[in-house]
Amino acid sequence: MTAAAPIATKHKIFSPARVTAIASNTLLELVRLKVFYFLLLFALLIIGSSFFTSKFTFQEQFQVLKDVSLGAMSIFTWLLGVLATAMLLPKDIEDRTLYTILAKPVPRFEYLLGKFLGVLLLLFVAISLMAGVFLVILYARQQDALANAARLVPANALQEQLADIRAATFNKNLLPGIVIIYLKSALCAALTLLLSTFASSSIFTIIMSVIVYLIGHIQAIARDAYLASQTTTALTKAFLAIVALLIPDLNSLTLVDDIVVGNAISMVLFVKTASLGLTYIGIYFLVGYFVFSAKEL
Amino acid sequence: MTRRMVIAILVLLVFGVVRMPFEAELEKEHKAAYFHGAKLDLSLREKIGQMGFLAALSGFRAFVADVLWIHAHVLWERTEWGAMKVDFDAVTSLQPRCVLFWSQAAWHMGFNASVAAFEDPKQPREALRLKAQHEYFKLAEDYLLHGIENNPDVYNLYADLALLYEMKLKDHCKAAEYYAKTAAFKNAPVFYHRFQYYELAQCPGHEREAYEALLKLYKEGENERLPTLLKWLGILQEKLNVPADQKIYIPPASNP
Amino acid sequence: MSTPAISIQNLTKVYPIPFKREKVTAVQDLSLTVEAGQVYGLLGPNGSGKSTTMKIVLGLVTPTSGKTEIFGRDSTTVESREDVGFLPENPYFYKYLTGEETLHFYGKLCGLSRARIRDRSKELLKLVGLEDAAARRLGGYSKGMLQRIGLAQAMIQEPRLLVLDEPTAGVDPAGSREIRDLILDFKQRGITVLLCSHLLEQVQEICDRVGILDHGVLIREGVLGDLISIENQTEIILENAPPELLAQIREMIGKSSGRLVAEHRPQKTLERYFLDVTGPKQS
Repeated sequence: MTAAAPIATKHKIFSPARVTAIASNTLLELVRLKVFYFLLLFALLIIGSSFFTSKFTFQEQFQVLKDVSLGAMSIFTWLLGVLATAMLLPKDIEDRTLYTILAKPVPRFEYLLGKFLGVLLLLFVAISLMAGVFLVILYARQQDALANAARLVPANALQEQLADIRAATFNKNLLPGIVIIYLKSALCAALTLLLSTFASSSIFTIIMSVIVYLIGHIQAIARDAYLASQTTTALTKAFLAIVALLIPDLNSLTLVDDIVVGNAISMVLFVKTASLGLTYIGIYFLVGYFVFSAKEL
Repeated sequence: MTRRMVIAILVLLVFGVVRMPFEAELEKEHKAAYFHGAKLDLSLREKIGQMGFLAALSGFRAFVADVLWIHAHVLWERTEWGAMKVDFDAVTSLQPRCVLFWSQAAWHMGFNASVAAFEDPKQPREALRLKAQHEYFKLAEDYLLHGIENNPDVYNLYADLALLYEMKLKDHCKAAEYYAKTAAFKNAPVFYHRFQYYELAQCPGHEREAYEALLKLYKEGENERLPTLLKWLGILQEKLNVPADQKIYIPPASNP
Repeated sequence: MSTPAISIQNLTKVYPIPFKREKVTAVQDLSLTVEAGQVYGLLGPNGSGKSTTMKIVLGLVTPTSGKTEIFGRDSTTVESREDVGFLPENPYFYKYLTGEETLHFYGKLCGLSRARIRDRSKELLKLVGLEDAAARRLGGYSKGMLQRIGLAQAMIQEPRLLVLDEPTAGVDPAGSREIRDLILDFKQRGITVLLCSHLLEQVQEICDRVGILDHGVLIREGVLGDLISIENQTEIILENAPPELLAQIREMIGKSSGRLVAEHRPQKTLERYFLDVTGPKQS
């Protein structure tokens, strides 16, 4: 084996194989960290929530089950996304594995993309598992309620009761609702990635991301106040402008509270909302790459 | 702060400017589809506290509503009607699109609290008890009217309000109006269609209208000729002094 | 004259200090060349600009001015890194991957096919002596083993240049010996090695040329032997010399213009002694 000439691999400007290698490795790395603990907590939460409502009507019980599950799904995927993303770059830099990767013919864009896709995959796995557990438990409770009804409800009212039970459990808008939850978490992860290219410590990134998350839910109020352009002072207007322009409008991706009580979402509205989410994700990722590409390592 | 970071912030500001009109438009569409109708204002914050408010803001709105709902049930067991109302107000502010909350809040006020007020052993004067009872009816009406404002696209609250007018407020004209609105929904059970005329029959000045309508239903066939319909036909025939030869329906000899 | 492995011309790197007017000059007008097939030692105290220079060569940091090339290709381009393998100081790699999986990962990053990675992994694991540990997770590797798997990943795409930062730091004498032997082996195969190390005795053993940096400036550079040999002294080592011969030599020196500086029994290095004593027992 001599080193007369290098292996003749023509360098690809963009290689999906490289991105996939980094993405799957990132997923493996992250899966070892927190996700299973979160999932366990989630499963316990949703099972536990069923018990303290046993003296309520079945509609109320299913309501609580769905509200708790979907609320937990929202909060956990968000938190998971922020924490996992915040430590992506700092960890690689600290362990110096970043240098071994970038010392190979890997463009920084592919590295960042691979890392980010790894997080998105993690969120997808997490939300799929949580949704799976949730739907199984919901189905089990439904079957329980149906069986009870068959036993206790008189025949003439039975069909209506069974229909009511079914209507109170599954609702075809739950799935688009879960997709929007995923997109919202992905947006927050992309934003966290962007913040981490500015900051050098994970703690700072996490804190900033949490603050933006909270302000993002009332950003619409700032936007309306800014657009309404009433008698606010120039300073207030400037402040509102900065909030309205820089902070993402997370309210537009918060639909599940209304979906869970039966509010329907049309395909058009769903696509528009999803597109907004995807646009945010794309912009935040690209701006993050822009800063990262010139970062001194 | 490197040059690139400054450029990045500028790009984000530009992105903000570009997306603003689109987001404002999308929000309008969301509101039109009944999303984001929750009123998260200061009065709510007072009722549910800072943590609850924060939770409601950050995606836990439904859960906070549920917690308050459960609390309201606990209060029900202790018959603390006033405190229940505070909870109901908060819950319906948080989840205005949940028909169940409006419906149940109205039911508690109109059918439980009102009875408790009327039978209040601590109040010797009947006039005052009736007054309190009526106030609860009004609270129930309020809930249902606001509920309908937020949920004009489902029949349930119209039906509930009609029932309230019929049974508690004894306003048969309004009951008829709301039964009619209920019946206008394609997916509403068919009997609401008849109920509107039973109520209309009791609305002064509309007896003839009710009679015509019930007659029309009667002529449609066997499945419309239900006992209540027949009963009302009979009553109206008497009230309107319909000549014997035009009487469609002869009530049977009165049964004990 | 073949293309030099590394060509650094008038390299300057200045870091601005945030919120202050002054700047830090990490590297100042550095020019040096590493010819193909050499083992070059880049030395200097902490803060001398060694790591910065290395990172610029690897494209991790952009120079303020000047040019760096790897086998004639601008080192700021991604393609130039096809020819380079890098082992950073105290690397961690991914603890949950096995030795084999680690090589597989880095092979994919280099664009190698699965078959090629399989073959290369086998060769390299054998070369660095980690065949038995290939299926074990890196979390269970000793420091020496980590360095060796690091060398293997650096070599995965058969680069013509290896850049090694403190390859033997923190490694026990036996492991350190193995790594140095590997470096010499690479040299035999014609691979160029750029080495940074504080362990000067080890550098002395394996490097052909050294460059010494101080405060960003290259203060000394040249063939190792030339730099450190004491010009006007000669060392002659005798074995089994009878005392009369020694007396004769002493007499001859006394008559000449030269001076006998020292006469003593040469010593084994402590390292050699340690390895002989702790190594595998010969039957």
